[in-house]
Amino acid sequence: MSSTTRPPFRLNNSEFWTGVIGLGLGVFVIRSGLKLKLGTINDPGSGFMLFYLGLLMCAFAVSIILASVTEGGPTFGSRWEDVRWSKPVLIIACLIAYAFALEPLGFLIATIPLILLLLRIIDPVRWTLAVPLAVLAPVGVWWVLKHGLSIMLPTGTFEIG
Amino acid sequence: MDVLTNVFHGFGVALLPVNLLYCFIGVFIGTLVGVLPGIGPISAMSLLLPVTLSGTPESGIIMMAGIYYGSMYGGSTTSILVNIPGEAASVVTCLDGHQMAKQGRAGPALGISALGSFIAGTFALIALMLVAPKLASVAIAFGPAEYFSLMVLGLVVLTFLTQGSMAKALLMACIGIVLGLVGLDSITAQPRLTFGRIELIDGIGLVPVVMGLFGLAEVLINTEQAIKRDVINAKITQLLPNKDDWKRSAGPIGRGTLMGFFLGILPGGGAVVASFASYALEKRLSKTPERFGHGAIEGVAGPEAANNAAAGGAFIPLMTLGIPPNVVMALLLGAFVIHGLQPGPLLITQNPGLFWGIVASMYIGNAMLLVLNLPLIGMWVKLLKLPYNVLFPLIVLFTIIGVYCSSNNVFDVYVMIAFGIIGYFMRKFGYEPAPLVLAFVLGPLLENNLRKSLILSQGDLMTFVERPISAACLVLAAILLIVPMLPSLRRKRELVALDEGA
Amino acid sequence: MLRRNRIAFSLSIAAAAIATLGTATIVRAQDYPTKPITLIVPWPAGGSTDISMRAIADAASKHLGQPIAIDNKGGGGGTVGPATMAAAAKPDGYTISQIPITVFRLPLMQEVSWNPDKDFSYIIHLTGYTFGITTNAESQFKTWKDVVDFAKANPGKVTYATPGAGTSLHVGMEQIAAMAGIKLTQVPFKGGAETNAAVLGNHTMLQADSTGWRPLVDAGKLRLLMVWTDKRSPNFPDAPTLKESGYPMVYDSPFGIAGPKGMDPKIVAKLHDAFKKAIEDPAVIATLAKFDMIPNYKNTEDYKKFVVEVTASERKVIESIGLGKK
Repeated sequence: MSSTTRPPFRLNNSEFWTGVIGLGLGVFVIRSGLKLKLGTINDPGSGFMLFYLGLLMCAFAVSIILASVTEGGPTFGSRWEDVRWSKPVLIIACLIAYAFALEPLGFLIATIPLILLLLRIIDPVRWTLAVPLAVLAPVGVWWVLKHGLSIMLPTGTFEIG
Repeated sequence: MDVLTNVFHGFGVALLPVNLLYCFIGVFIGTLVGVLPGIGPISAMSLLLPVTLSGTPESGIIMMAGIYYGSMYGGSTTSILVNIPGEAASVVTCLDGHQMAKQGRAGPALGISALGSFIAGTFALIALMLVAPKLASVAIAFGPAEYFSLMVLGLVVLTFLTQGSMAKALLMACIGIVLGLVGLDSITAQPRLTFGRIELIDGIGLVPVVMGLFGLAEVLINTEQAIKRDVINAKITQLLPNKDDWKRSAGPIGRGTLMGFFLGILPGGGAVVASFASYALEKRLSKTPERFGHGAIEGVAGPEAANNAAAGGAFIPLMTLGIPPNVVMALLLGAFVIHGLQPGPLLITQNPGLFWGIVASMYIGNAMLLVLNLPLIGMWVKLLKLPYNVLFPLIVLFTIIGVYCSSNNVFDVYVMIAFGIIGYFMRKFGYEPAPLVLAFVLGPLLENNLRKSLILSQGDLMTFVERPISAACLVLAAILLIVPMLPSLRRKRELVALDEGA
Repeated sequence: MLRRNRIAFSLSIAAAAIATLGTATIVRAQDYPTKPITLIVPWPAGGSTDISMRAIADAASKHLGQPIAIDNKGGGGGTVGPATMAAAAKPDGYTISQIPITVFRLPLMQEVSWNPDKDFSYIIHLTGYTFGITTNAESQFKTWKDVVDFAKANPGKVTYATPGAGTSLHVGMEQIAAMAGIKLTQVPFKGGAETNAAVLGNHTMLQADSTGWRPLVDAGKLRLLMVWTDKRSPNFPDAPTLKESGYPMVYDSPFGIAGPKGMDPKIVAKLHDAFKKAIEDPAVIATLAKFDMIPNYKNTEDYKKFVVEVTASERKVIESIGLGKK
């Protein structure tokens, strides 16, 4: 392996940057551990484990970074080659909006539009199928949970559900 | 012979029509809640606890036990079909089970998990009958030092879970432990890494983490594929495991059963360690370890057997010592006490009808489960024929509901969505979620027991080596770490080492 | 964007609420309860508190006409559940919690997120525990005096398992140790199931816990050295009390239930009445007796007074044994 020529290091190397993120997390964990107190060996404190975990994380992150520098790695672009990157982004956006809407609107009012959106914006399902499915699936589950298992889904400020 | 008369006596109790009915209701509800991820046996059993008051203690406890092992059967279904594990032990099933489903082999995967569960469950029951009182000591032989070493052994297993870079897997494992430590420190009652969020005081829930990292992330990855495709690429060829599948699975089921039964006796974490360890063991023993993670049936059969055998083993500390090894068993203890019975050393001698009746009913329940589950396989497989653009919003709906039901907390839905996004990027950059989940489960136990053993030994690290069980676990961990490196070294030296370890 | 929408949204809701009469909440208090109630039990499922609370809740639910779901939120010596409730639950009477004594004690020992004087609507005081110290039946300790003698010769060598740091068992043991002039080492576990296993397996020398050890003591696997109740327990007539052993104390860690602050007094009254009837129910008394608990009823007002008293006495104890907040 070492006989092959070393690929030049590029800044858009994704391995390198995920390693840097790992290193950052490791440093954060070490700091949290120190703040929580290490204690002594016969009575370890709350931060004892976190501190040493943080050290380990840094070690692994550094080894990932070193590997990325010496062996190179796929670029960010190559990770998303030939795929429709916009689709997951759309779903993520929908889910984040849903997270904000769930508490105030309640399960039924928030979930029916979410399912409808998901059915229509990724690989559109025809309306005649999408609408009944988006309405019936959440309502059905809600009904079974409420009456069968007496589990209450969030009702929201309108108290629907 | 004593055992035999007792067993007959037990079947006499279990075969009473009313007890048969309660047994059926129990396993039926268990199958239902097992299939729905998140809605585990705990919520079903707490809801039905008052119902058991009306009948005899036998029928009440028979039903509660039915829910428990019934849910163990159903637990693997969503893992295999749509990559949503409902609990930690099913995470392993996702690894190869879902790959099998993608190759059109959902039927054999579901079939082997049901049949493997049946075999393991049956063995566990026979073992429970024969050796329960003798094994009671196993449950208490494990103190903090032993648990710590067992957790170390469990964590070593994660090196077998990864196909990619070891450094990445280890980094993920560390992150998993850190996530597991979020919340109030159980020893000093100090909040850790809670960022002032009261929801985090209780720690991060396991269900939202696994459902996000596996279920939701899988959806995100699948939707970015340009081809409109079904979950399955290949044609469905068979519904049940064929002869070759059985040949591959026999060994894993046997080993998984033994490992699961013994680890299941241990309070806390036993079943999870057993299923992960079984996977690791099979991958280690396999002549073709590269198939693991790409739909190896051994990777489904072993862990599923281990999982179910552990459910049987878990009855031992409860019935013989009154020590519930997990939350579900604690609920069962509640059912006993409500009926005025105290599980403990005197239970078997004072109430033989009850003890043997419950054990016999579990045997009948296991057979019922098999009859109930095998015909369902065809139905589940048909579900996969739905086009993916119709299926995936339903999967999303399923994860949201499962997560909410597991805790009745909207915050957990946020956590699940966050971990879904994190899981998507993790996969994109080649970081695998399985080590994170295993460490997430074992990490807090590791930390807690490390600190307790250091308090007990007054800071003497030798305690881990001096105690025989602890030392054995650590030695085994060391062997597991070192041995996999040997064949690869030998291969590099062009020495064939294929026939060892079979 | 989202934030502004949320504000606009809540404004419109507020307007709607005002428009649809201010009496809405009163109507709701009268109808209460219209849906299942969640009772947080801040201990693992299956422990003595859990089982007795389930029995009490079951009886109370019959009087309320709605099921009471038990939510086991263990950890932090029984404070995580009430703390979570105080911070997150609405004071609508649908989320209430068992309040163990640690809720008053922990704030004296460290910074916490709740204030026991302000953050809860106390409802009713229910009962207390029987605590005891046990040791393995094979242990060299036959009586508590043996423990004291051994500990005097080997300071810090005697280990004892408790169900958590800062629990009554921990504080009680430290107080006994201080009085006896010995040094003991605490090992905090999570709940009674784990402490049973610890002392049975000889991992710790002693166990200090509520009567989860009873079947094991009955079976002769554990030896009961002492109970912490006022009088000897009828179930264990041979075990001396703290007082008899020369420590003028009673430790029974009394508990009740409370909701988040700001609950409607009408809802509090409804819950109080239902739970009062529950602890008068012979079936509940029988279940409590299985754990050697005796109903110890205090009404809402008395419970509030009791909280003030207990906080004062705890402060003295905590400071005298050096566990106080630094």
